Amino acid sequence: MIEPVLPERTGRRIAPFVSLAVALVVAALFVVLASGKASKPDVTSSFLTGKPAPAVSSTTLDGQAFNLARRKGSWVVLNFFQSTCLPCKAEHPELVSFVAQQAGISDGAELYTIIKDDSDDAVVKWFADHGGDWPIVKDDNGAIATAFGVAKVPETWIIDPSGIVVVRHATTITAEFLSTELQRLRQAYG
Amino acid sequence: MTRSLKGWPSWVLLVLVVGGLLAVGASRDAGARSPKERVEDISHRLACPICDGESVFESRNADSQAIRIEIARQVDTGTVSDDQIINFIEQRFGSKVLLVPRATGIDALVWALPVAALVCAIVGLGVAFHRWKTVADTIPDDADRQLVAVALANDDDSDDEL
Repeated sequence: MIEPVLPERTGRRIAPFVSLAVALVVAALFVVLASGKASKPDVTSSFLTGKPAPAVSSTTLDGQAFNLARRKGSWVVLNFFQSTCLPCKAEHPELVSFVAQQAGISDGAELYTIIKDDSDDAVVKWFADHGGDWPIVKDDNGAIATAFGVAKVPETWIIDPSGIVVVRHATTITAEFLSTELQRLRQAYG
Repeated sequence: MTRSLKGWPSWVLLVLVVGGLLAVGASRDAGARSPKERVEDISHRLACPICDGESVFESRNADSQAIRIEIARQVDTGTVSDDQIINFIEQRFGSKVLLVPRATGIDALVWALPVAALVCAIVGLGVAFHRWKTVADTIPDDADRQLVAVALANDDDSDDEL
């Protein structure tokens, strides 16, 4: 009896390789996802760290001109604030305490509150009720927040006497942290 | 002329048409844009930094408004490109504000995977067409029929002997 000659089944030869390729891709995807770091908000690094602070200017609530470039020679702390933000309210006593500490130091830092998307009246009322006599800077068009890349508040920045950004802290802050950090920076600055 | 030769002009025409359309699409120039159009184009490419799923162009919140103002300010200088403005915003707010992924690093997978899938699909189709052709070539001809007839006759003889 003659055996029929069947056409060679190309698919049967290719199928294992296709399956292997798909399995490899899925395995690689699994490894990438399993080994990837969980996405956590970065609260300290910034493109601006180590670079000159943006040349921003505005006016304070009491009508004084504010020009950051003219603050060179002093340690400057900028605190972005909104009176409806609970963490901002929570850290306010810490800022009051920090300013009191710095007042007793010869080269004490200057603190400026930058109003972030809030009405002047609400901020004035908050400060009147809860204390704080440092300058409060308007940011009507959000130009200062955009220049620093501030989207959420509170956020605090330290600028050294050369006008270089040295610290970004994108969460609530304490008086102790600020004082310790400034002391360390002063020693490093020389 | 064989069937395969008869079909090639249509394939060439298809390739020419697709290639022509791709060339026109890739090099299409809508002409000079006004500053307002540039601001809109750029703000369409950036995500609102504090909301989900909205571009800076669509979002009405204060942060997006501030970014639009910054874009407009930089466009008005007339010295910076769209990409430079987008870089400026990205450096400050992070890569999460980019609505169009970059073509470098792991983001490049977004561009590379569809192309790889397309290549695989074309290769798969090619293999499938080849298999269909192979099957078509196995239609029995007269020699095959004769071979089968001989085999059947031999089979009948074997049955008779039993």
